[in-house]
Amino acid sequence: MKLKPLQFGVLGFCMGILAFSYPAQAQFQKVFGAKTATLANGMQVVVIENHRAPVVTHMLWYQVGSADEPKGDGVSGAAHFLEHLMFKGSGAIAPGEFSKLIRNVGGNDNAFTSWDYTAFFQTVPSKYLPQVMALEADRMINLSLADRDIESERDVIIEERRMRTDNDPQSLFMEQMRAALFPNSAYAEPIIGWRDEMPLLGRQDVMEYYKAWYTPANAILVVSGDVNFEEVVSEAEKAYGVIPSHPYPEHIRSKSPDFRAETRLTLHDEDVRQPTLYKAWLVPAFLEDKHTYYSFEVMAEAISGNASTKLYQTLVVNRKKATSISLSYDGEARGQGSLWLYAIPAPGVSIEDLEKEINTAFREIVGNGIEEQDVEKAKTRLIDQALFARDSVAGPAMVIGQALALGATLDDVENWPQKIDSITREDVQTIFDMYMNPEAPKRLPVTGILLPAEDKSK
Amino acid sequence: MRNALMRGAYLLGFAIMVMSLGGIQDARASILKIQTVKSDKNITAWLVEDPTVPVISMRFSFQGAGAINDPADKQGLSQILSNTLDEGAGDLGSKEFQAELSDHSISLSFSSSRDDFGGSLKTLTKYQDKAFDLLHLALTKPHFEADALRRMKDANLARIRSNMSDPEWLTARLANAVLYNGHPYAQNSGGTLSSLPKITTKDLHEKFSTQLGRDRLLISVSGNISAEELSQRLDEVFGDLPDISTVRQVENVTPPAQAEVIQYVKEIPQTVIQIAYPGISMKDPDYFAAEIFNYILGGAGFGSRLTETVREQKGLTYGIDSNLSEMDFSSLLSISTSTRTEKVGEVLSLVNAEIDKIFQTPISDRELVEAKSYLIGSVPLGLTSTDRIAGMMMGFQIYGLPANYLDIREAGLNKATKQDVLRVAQRLLDERHKTTVLTGAKQEIGPVRYVENIPDIQ
Repeated sequence: MKLKPLQFGVLGFCMGILAFSYPAQAQFQKVFGAKTATLANGMQVVVIENHRAPVVTHMLWYQVGSADEPKGDGVSGAAHFLEHLMFKGSGAIAPGEFSKLIRNVGGNDNAFTSWDYTAFFQTVPSKYLPQVMALEADRMINLSLADRDIESERDVIIEERRMRTDNDPQSLFMEQMRAALFPNSAYAEPIIGWRDEMPLLGRQDVMEYYKAWYTPANAILVVSGDVNFEEVVSEAEKAYGVIPSHPYPEHIRSKSPDFRAETRLTLHDEDVRQPTLYKAWLVPAFLEDKHTYYSFEVMAEAISGNASTKLYQTLVVNRKKATSISLSYDGEARGQGSLWLYAIPAPGVSIEDLEKEINTAFREIVGNGIEEQDVEKAKTRLIDQALFARDSVAGPAMVIGQALALGATLDDVENWPQKIDSITREDVQTIFDMYMNPEAPKRLPVTGILLPAEDKSK
Repeated sequence: MRNALMRGAYLLGFAIMVMSLGGIQDARASILKIQTVKSDKNITAWLVEDPTVPVISMRFSFQGAGAINDPADKQGLSQILSNTLDEGAGDLGSKEFQAELSDHSISLSFSSSRDDFGGSLKTLTKYQDKAFDLLHLALTKPHFEADALRRMKDANLARIRSNMSDPEWLTARLANAVLYNGHPYAQNSGGTLSSLPKITTKDLHEKFSTQLGRDRLLISVSGNISAEELSQRLDEVFGDLPDISTVRQVENVTPPAQAEVIQYVKEIPQTVIQIAYPGISMKDPDYFAAEIFNYILGGAGFGSRLTETVREQKGLTYGIDSNLSEMDFSSLLSISTSTRTEKVGEVLSLVNAEIDKIFQTPISDRELVEAKSYLIGSVPLGLTSTDRIAGMMMGFQIYGLPANYLDIREAGLNKATKQDVLRVAQRLLDERHKTTVLTGAKQEIGPVRYVENIPDIQ
């Protein structure tokens, strides 16, 4: 296995997760062959039938995340705190009981929160799907929280933050990188919340958010596995269809301005042993510009997809300036997207020299340096990924749910290979020149340099 | 998913799983239909054929050829071999070899555990000729070219330096050094900052030519390939390997002679805690009762006694779990958690109290039924992709279990009584051999042996 110390990429929504059931696929068959319906209350239902194992994954996606928390109220992390508290009981289900019921039928459950979405999911033997739906529908409207549970769970999420972030200088540094990259956006705030604001989270913060956003019309149900489309829709109608939808707020995603002065962050930390260079650029995300989104997907794969592509070959193999380098595009956002570069200098190479060498390599690509064959191969690899995408039950639900929760359509997901195929060398060259030309980038990147403690004897 | 926070630490930790509650099934087919395929050259593989996916997944393993063979001054040799085998072979240089893989969307990786050396191959059926050919080349004509060796050593050195700021990694290193003191398992299988530079091309050739033989080869395959096709492939890919190979003979590990608390002092807000007892082999008749015991104590995540007390009631941690693990010469029962510095003493007391409670208020009928229900019922969740199935079968082979192990396990779990569970708990929770390892700031928790340096990093 090649070493990639930090995986940056959130893979594009059709990539990376698992595999398929078309024996011999025609050119650009739909990726998942999913079916969809909309309940009378406006809730979308998507079903991916897959009969390989008697198992079903049930995912409920809310189109709301930490970026939708109220601004300027002095607290942060309410979206993620609510996600935790959703396991703390309704009138009918005791605190903690939800997960135990799932376990007792041989299932697993969990949930996650992003800046733009929140999802709850269970994988169970397929015969239990109606019960799972009933449980999930119950907590959409009947959440009932004891003060004691709010208090103890707040301690849990603060421990979670200590584990993920406060204990690790690299994580703290990445948190600050994001804050610098999105100066006028809720994407600047960590999903889990700022350390000093989390202790202030209370019942009102989560309940107002819950009442505003958790409603069927703002939710998407994705069911994947050993099920039948019509039966799933009929069960969903019974469990979720009876819940009336209420209006919910607009998503506000403010854009960060083009600042003219360069942002550079440097941290010397006594726990850090490995100097590391990061760069991040603000770039369009999917909703903002679909063609650019697909172009970025192909660009990142073409120049940094694996050890045979240009960045690794140039900087690691040929010029021996880096030990590792990777570029990844995060365009799965309702607001602005971002492009991240991560590099470790080769022994004896300073961070300054590494940065210069990367700029040199980028300058060589500007103009005409994106190669036709690299683009074509990248497209083939990306399209092949769609064939792997259905060798899984939970994977397709994850991919489709994420895309829809961000405002993409099912067609966008199903036709992803065709869209990738339509990208040309010129498209890739254009976005590279526009966003990544070190001489004149459309937006200046944020540069981050993480270093060991300075030698005090010098 | 990098952009999302998971609620539990256990999302992908799905234990091995498969189905049907309560043992009231009639005579029925095996849970997993494994064929044994034998080639003309007498190479054996386990196969689960699945014509519904355009994918083939293969795992292979050379038993006993792992990091236990690494010389003390060349720790990491096995790991470096796994990193360099795909860096050029036959007529293909490093770049060409990597390009052949990526241009055909073939995932080929080699890996080394402490015990074994192995790898995995995943390909679309349409590229299978190329995939098997590349694997054959890597296993017969690798280059180990000097420049590739240098790059892989540098990447591993960077990985170690990056990990040195990660308290969980440091805790795992320390636990390893303490639990296996004096045994080859105590070495750092990823290499050390001083050992990696000593590894030469000659070392790689020697290990490669003497340890990777057909006499210790295990293979499992799942996906779109028939027994006849696989039989031919086995000879093509593995037929040229040496018949006989030699690995180091190793003794079983003796548990530490006395209970002890060992701490690496580091000024971080949260202390990482790992507690270990001697474990139990999967071949032991009491193993099924041990699985039930572990599930009730801490294996279940939500619903387990440790999680209910330490997380749900007290809010002292984001995650606490227990785990049974096994290697060729050692098995462990371990408990892992983390908490803020000032609460370490309280968490350790609570864990002790839960352990006492196992004996004072023995498990209930309900706990027994629920544990069996999950452990049996969740098995199909692990049968949803070809690589998971191939991985599960490789696990059975590595541990010397029969192909119908899932059936045997189901019967064994069903048969286990509360008395069995109590007996195995008494056997496992041997306080004389309890080792507690901490990484974090100092606090008052009773006798602690502090260590200044963790062995086998520098």
